[in-house]
Amino acid sequence: MTAYVVRRCLYAVLTFVGITIATFALIHAVPGDPITFYLSNHMNPSRPALEAIRHEYHLDEPLVTQYVYWAKGVMTFDFGRSTLDRRPVRERILNKLPNTLLLNFIAFLLAALIGLPIGLWSAARSGRALERASAVGFFLLYSLPSFWVALLLMQLFAIRLDILPIFGMTSDEYPTLSAMQQLADRARHLILPVITLSYAQLAIYVRFSKSALTEVIRQDFITTARAKGATPAAVMWRHALRNALIPLVTLLGLTIPSLISGSVIVEAIFQWDGIGHLYFESILSRDYPTVLGLTVATAIVTLFASLFADVLYAVADPRIRFGGDTP
Amino acid sequence: MVPVKSRPLLLLFALALCVACSKPERVAPAAVAGDENTPQDGGTLIRRLESDINGVNPVLEKSKYDRYIDIYLFSPLVNLDVNLRPSPGLAEKWEISPDGKQYTFHLAPKATFSNGKPVLASDVLYTLKKIIDPDSEAAQVAPGFQTTDLANTKVIDPHTIVIAFKEPDASQMIHFNDLLTVPEEIYSKGNFKNDYINTAVGSGPYRLVRRVPGKEVLLERREDYWGQKPYLKNVLFKVVIDAQTAWNALKHGDIDETAIGSDVWLMESKRADLQRTIDFRRFYTLNYNYIAWNERDPILADKRVRRALGMCLDVGSIINNLYHGTARAVSGPFTPDQFGFNPNVPVLPFDPVQAKRLLNDAGWFDSNGDGILDKGGKPLKLELSIFAGSVAALPVAQLLQEELKKVGVELNIAPIDPALAIQRIIGGNYQAAYLAWDLDPDPNPFPQFHSSQIPPAGQNFVYYINPAADKLIAAAGRELDFNKRVKLFQELHAMLAEDQPYTWVNQVSVKWALNKRVKNVKESRGWGLFTWYPGEMDWWIPRDQRTHEVVAATTTTH
Repeated sequence: MTAYVVRRCLYAVLTFVGITIATFALIHAVPGDPITFYLSNHMNPSRPALEAIRHEYHLDEPLVTQYVYWAKGVMTFDFGRSTLDRRPVRERILNKLPNTLLLNFIAFLLAALIGLPIGLWSAARSGRALERASAVGFFLLYSLPSFWVALLLMQLFAIRLDILPIFGMTSDEYPTLSAMQQLADRARHLILPVITLSYAQLAIYVRFSKSALTEVIRQDFITTARAKGATPAAVMWRHALRNALIPLVTLLGLTIPSLISGSVIVEAIFQWDGIGHLYFESILSRDYPTVLGLTVATAIVTLFASLFADVLYAVADPRIRFGGDTP
Repeated sequence: MVPVKSRPLLLLFALALCVACSKPERVAPAAVAGDENTPQDGGTLIRRLESDINGVNPVLEKSKYDRYIDIYLFSPLVNLDVNLRPSPGLAEKWEISPDGKQYTFHLAPKATFSNGKPVLASDVLYTLKKIIDPDSEAAQVAPGFQTTDLANTKVIDPHTIVIAFKEPDASQMIHFNDLLTVPEEIYSKGNFKNDYINTAVGSGPYRLVRRVPGKEVLLERREDYWGQKPYLKNVLFKVVIDAQTAWNALKHGDIDETAIGSDVWLMESKRADLQRTIDFRRFYTLNYNYIAWNERDPILADKRVRRALGMCLDVGSIINNLYHGTARAVSGPFTPDQFGFNPNVPVLPFDPVQAKRLLNDAGWFDSNGDGILDKGGKPLKLELSIFAGSVAALPVAQLLQEELKKVGVELNIAPIDPALAIQRIIGGNYQAAYLAWDLDPDPNPFPQFHSSQIPPAGQNFVYYINPAADKLIAAAGRELDFNKRVKLFQELHAMLAEDQPYTWVNQVSVKWALNKRVKNVKESRGWGLFTWYPGEMDWWIPRDQRTHEVVAATTTTH
């Protein structure tokens, strides 16, 4: 088991270095650089000042040298300063990360808590009229564009009914409220973004958990369990569900990175100050340090999540532990 | 991880509770009847930022949003009035030497910074030095001061400074509007570029209470302000990126002003229920859309061809169908709001018949009967670059494509990633491009149209080379007599309209919506509602219509 985990960790470190090199190469391969921002915004920007900017961010040096400069910084968790607003990249990311985590985690929790049981129910009732109808319903839900749903929700709850805020994470009065009121205030601001984020995820969880369980139910040992006289509930919970865990763990592993990736649309519409818009904006303005910083953050979380999933596989399935390879 | 995990759970719990919760209460507005015409002191204005600011160091200003804030915190050396002509700012008065190289500024003796210290001529000099030092990376403010003659620039006494230039530049005065003085005593400490992003000490009528990146900027009026004190006590800027959200927030009363799109203008600005509470404005600012013709290309080097191509663009149809009448045609490099504009120059007419004749004159005929004009065996094919993702550019390009096809010109539309497009265009590697310029109030056409400014030196990426135009540009740059300068610019306007290095397309009006509780909102000639003087400094809100007083209450605790 320990050897397995150590080997996985080593792979993760190698993958991480690979990701940083690939991102570094990619963002520099894209046409334009931070200087383009000035050229597109001003009729006649100061050329000496632009040269100074180029020099400060080492843009006048070979790509490999630039990478070494950057990698040295990363070793000490110094990701440099944004070419846009000059704030340290680390501070820019850490300011927004909790907001994104909070929103996405609640949306994930809501989608999973509702979606997984519905999925299991669907697997058990597979093929019946109600199950089919609900499947169609979830597909429809999944295909609704989120910007449209967000604006409809805003129109209904924030404007017509006037019971929820239009945008933002807290009210202007927030600092003057009591702790309990502050909590309620935050919750009120969370409702619409959470709904917008979770309704599509919901459909994914339903489909995924249903298909995972259906796969297991078809196998011989379930028939054996039924034949030996186990009740349908016992078959489902004790035999089927336990074996459907592996694909669910995979889904979990895939979900964790998305918790910090943010959503450009929901963040923009509800003015939720998160990672999604930061990513979008820094790519558009070719803010290299910020793009790279965000990539590192996402890469680390993704690698940890897949490492975590790998270890969970090993716990859930002894064959993986001894065989030493993921299925 | 633990606190993060437990908090969402708590919040979920609160989420369930909150259905029963009411909205946090706002302080009820005091029912004091106010005269609609007499300004009343106090109140909080809520403004929208379409994009977060880059910081509050005025030397490093990068966007118009930065300027929106800076104009409250710092007094420009020279203000621009409603016609965007120089008016007193930090400098009460000034003299210009007869050779146009030296400007003597007399600072307002009572002027103080928000820390109570007087504004001295040495502070102005310090700021100027910071602006022109390449290491400050003041890429957008520095160009206005690039010919500064530091050797002859000197402080005469604590309130008088002479700023000297190596060459006279008639448009220099306008650039002093970008000189926002910072106190040397404060800003010379620490790292100039990095340490004054979120803090500011300026001589303006407001001081910075707080900046929360990605969220808001809160300003508070300085009760010790040395000049004409504004009426509003607080100004709160909220970052609202999404246009639809901002429009909803305005209707709901969460913000007091926002730019609106043509769609909102068209669909909602005539609604009587909205007009009761919302003040809709439409005005032109200093910009235009144009097609750049690269004269380095053998086809486009011929003026007749450029004029012919321009005559195939149905600007009237664009204005009426694409912009629903909320745009206007532009005849040349100056817009009607600028003094260089020549009212006698007609807009290039939409005339495909005349265009065909011009192309024939230039030697382009359809000799092989394939429907495309040719000359010397080469067909008349062109590529028009547009910015990928631009909603307005594509229909304009398609309309031109359609009309050109009828005349016998094949136009290929190439949507290109903006960053790549800019790189190609400023390098001169393109044939034609649909672009836009934002203009200065007193524009110097030098970087765009002077022959010395072809790439890589400047922005003359159309490779327009005309000695007569060079002469006019140079003469207008030196001419200190305003009326003579107007004449020179108008002559240049006519010359460029004739030569068509660009085909000027149109100017799209800016639409704004404001909550009617905000009084005394005026438009300038070219800058819209903000950053001229007095502009937004003259706004006020009647006492009985103040709904955001809580904001002000929380600020005093900070």
